[in-house]
Formats: sequence, C-alpha cells, structure tokens
Amino acid sequence: MPNVNGKFIAKISGLTKNYGTLTALSDVTFSVERGELFGYLGPNGAGKTTTINILCGLLQRDAGTVNLCGLDIDQSPVSIKQRIGVVPEESNLYPELTCRRNLEYLAELYGLPRAVRRTRTEELLAAFDLSDRATTPFRALSRGMKRRLTVAAALVHSPEVLFLDEPTSGLDVPSARDLRSMIQDANRRGTTIFLTTHNLAEAESLCHRILILVKGRVVSQGTADEIRRRAEKAKSLSVAFSRAAPEKSLTDECPAILSASLAEGYYRLEVADLHAALDQLLAFSRRQGIRILEITTVTPTLEDAFVAILNERSQAGDAHP
Amino acid sequence: MTQIRRALFISRKDIESYYSKPPLVTWGLLFPAVLILAVYLKDPATYLAVAPGIIGMTLLFGNTSMAAIVVTFEKRSGTMQRLLLTPVTHRTIVLGKAASAALYGIATSLILTLAIVFLLGMRFVSPLVFAAALILGAATFSLIGIIASVLVREVFEAMTLMNFFRFPILFVSGVFVPVASLPAWLKPLAFLSPLTHVVELIRFSLTGTCYFPSPWIPALVICAFLVASSLIADAAFRRAATR
Repeated sequence: MPNVNGKFIAKISGLTKNYGTLTALSDVTFSVERGELFGYLGPNGAGKTTTINILCGLLQRDAGTVNLCGLDIDQSPVSIKQRIGVVPEESNLYPELTCRRNLEYLAELYGLPRAVRRTRTEELLAAFDLSDRATTPFRALSRGMKRRLTVAAALVHSPEVLFLDEPTSGLDVPSARDLRSMIQDANRRGTTIFLTTHNLAEAESLCHRILILVKGRVVSQGTADEIRRRAEKAKSLSVAFSRAAPEKSLTDECPAILSASLAEGYYRLEVADLHAALDQLLAFSRRQGIRILEITTVTPTLEDAFVAILNERSQAGDAHP
Repeated sequence: MTQIRRALFISRKDIESYYSKPPLVTWGLLFPAVLILAVYLKDPATYLAVAPGIIGMTLLFGNTSMAAIVVTFEKRSGTMQRLLLTPVTHRTIVLGKAASAALYGIATSLILTLAIVFLLGMRFVSPLVFAAALILGAATFSLIGIIASVLVREVFEAMTLMNFFRFPILFVSGVFVPVASLPAWLKPLAFLSPLTHVVELIRFSLTGTCYFPSPWIPALVICAFLVASSLIADAAFRRAATR
C-alpha cells in the first residue's frame, strides 16, 4: 500500500549509475516534499536526465533506492507510472496524430474511462490554449505548441508528480513564459513538480527548493537563498572610482580583494573579508589619489552561487569538464 | 484485463497510424499477387502448388517487415519512450505491437487468398486450418520482427537483419521447392524454419495434403515457435527498454 500521507512524495537514496567507466550519478540522495516545486539543477552532463530516466523507470540504476508516491520502484513500477507524469527533453508525442487524438490515446493508456477521457482532453486543450488546434497533427505544430501539448499530455491522468526535463529549452521568450506560468498553475492545483533545468533564473523564479548536481554528485541543496548564502564565502563589492585604477594594482595592493573586473565604469570586486577589503580599499584610494564615488555590496544571484560552486568543484579537482 | 485493454489501444493506434494507409496495403499485396499471376499464366495447372508458399511468404514478409519497421521507427522518433512512460508493462507493448502487425499480415494474406479464390477458382479444403495457419504464422512472424527491431537502431538495419533470415529460409521452406524435393542435408533446416510449418499447414487447408503425416505436426511446431518467439521478444524488449 502506498504511503499517501507522508510528507515526502519522493525519497531517493544513494542513487548511483555508471556507464562503463563513466560515473553518471554517484550516491545521489534527496527528498521531494508533497506539493513542492523542486528544481534539479546542473550543467550539461551533470546527470539530470539520467536521474529522471531512472525515476521514471526508463533506466536501471546500479545502486540506491527509489521511492515515489509511497511505492518502491522495483516492486511497483507500473503503479508508479500511473501516478507520475513526464515531460521529456524532446517533445515526443505521435507526429501523425492530432492534438486531440494524442491526448485521448494517452488517456486510454492511463485507463481513464471513456467519458472522462473526452472531458479531460477538451479541458487540457483549453487550459493549454490549443483548442483551435485540436484537429492539427502534432508534427504541424510550432515548437512552443508542441511543448505545451507535451506538458498537457503528461497531465492527462492528473499525476501526483510531474517530471519536467528542460521544459523551456529552445523556446522563444513568450512561449517559455507561458509555459512557466502553466507549470506554476499545475503546482498550485497540487501537483508536485520536479523540474530539471540549467536555466538558473527559471529555477530561481519557480522553485521552492533546489538541488545542484555537478558531475553526478549533489553539491548543494536547499532554497535559492540558502544556496546563495552557502556560496557567499566570497562576497562581492561594486565600486566606482573618480578615475580608472589598474585592476592588477587593486588585487596586488589589497590582499582581501580576490579578483577585480571592470564593467560599465564599475569595478566588481570579489572579496574574502568585507571589513578588511573596505579598509584596504580606502587606503588604496588615498595612496592613488583617487576618490571613491560609490560603493555597494552585491547580493549574489543564484547564477553567481552556481558559478562559485562550479569553481569550488573545479579547484577541488572534481569539476565539470 | 487492464493490460490487455491497453494492448488493444496500442494495436488500434498502430492500425490507425500505420497499417490502414492504402499504400502500405498495396505494397504488401502487389509482389505476391504478381508472382502468383506469373505462375498461373505460365501453367494454370500448377499454380496451386506454389499458392500456399506465396501466401505464407506474404505473411512472413508483411509481418516481420511491419513489426520491425514500426518498432524501430517509434524508437527513433522518441514515441516508444513516450509509450514506456505510460503504465503499461513491456509485455503489453510487445503484445499490442505484435497484434497490430499480425492483423496487417492476416489482412494482406487474406485479401490475396480471396483474390485467388475468386479470380483463379481456388477452393478451401479446411477453412479452419487455413485460419489457424494465418493466425499462428502472423503472430510468430510479428514477434520475430519485434525481436529484430530491438537489436537495431535504424529501420534499414532492421530490414537488412530480417533479410538475412528471410531470404535463405524462402528456399528451404517449401515456398518454391517442395520440402519432399529438398536434398536430405537441407531437410533439417527446413524443419527448423517456422515458414515451412506455416506453408505446409496452408497447403493442407487448400489441398488436403501436406508434407507431414498430419496437419497437427506443423500446427504444434508453429505453436512452439510462437511460445519461443514470444518469450524471446518479451525478454529482448525488456532488456532494451531498461538498459
């Protein structure tokens, strides 16, 4: 019997997958709470799609346990598939079938009764703004429409968890925006969302919690704020001087400044210690005879945190190539 | 029961998408029809000797080709992955795909047979045996097509692989040369070919005689081939679907 009342809808422990000598996933452990929008981030080749494929039963793992919707994937693979919806990276509906027939066919395979199938199909076509394309074959749709229909198809049986693999990849800005809004709507209606993406802004704006995967290993997980804070070992300052100062002299004369770069009249300084850096910066400006016009601390974005994490892994010799 | 219903939905979708297209039906019929006609025009008295073989060959080519093409095509287009994401077992997918390919093979062979009956005056001795031969043969050949499709990546590779199997067995299965006329060293190969047994069963249904002392022998051998190909197709598909 599935444990439907548990707090976690997905419990993954020690997930490991090797392709020959290449380790795609190494001891990946995480949980997803019921009703949350969970972001699974990582650079290309980090193991995001491999994870989704294992969780959806498309790929065998080498080690670890997978519990979805209160069910063990080894014991109840078909029951799990009945409870989850998947939007793969490539929109893979039947090219020769119309939008309506694609949804009806999938509704048949998910065991929806005939009357419900018809209503649900029309509901989804309307919700995803595809009613006027109901009789158009899938192959004749634009990329954005194909993506929308693929998401609609994954929702046809009202799954408890929706897995989305790079859902907005390759879409234009309005289509991506529409799709994000549809994903949020599905989440508001109670569907747990598992989103893989390398679009950090998308993850930051949509996800309640985020996990960062690098080269098959979990390197950070938590809310976007928590991840940012963890990566804030090096704080950033933005400084405007009365005249240009050589970037090298800034780092040479101020040991607390780790790196300096100039963009649009502002120096972006990565600093190890904020107070020491400010003292050294004031002394530097006096020595150089230049005035500090403006100085602000910079809150790192998730992207900054992500890059910092990647650099950290790179220095530790465990980086994404 | 639920899984059988789902297999029927898969079959219906495949018939709708692939098998009901008129060019496909024509393609499946044209070559065997021309072959029968050529034999008939050469010597109207002997066409009945080759008709069972050509009907069996139509079944073999139609089923193995279509099952292999459809599964390989769906693997390439990603729609097989879509199917694997739904709550259907691997066995259900194999059953659904094989059933639609088998129906296609049965339909083309039946059209061909009816054409011979109405145009050339061929008679059935045992329609029931004929039906059994078509159903058992179509199911076995479809499953063989599915086994081939899981071993390859491209449609042309599936066809190449199938041809390595199909063309040699044409010559030892009583299609053009009766099994009785084969040299002794080729006969064991003939008995190992599922086509031999399908052809002999069809021959019995049309002429009342076959190479074997009883039609039960080829019928039981085809049943054994059906069970074996079903088990192999199931295992091969499961292995390919969850690498």
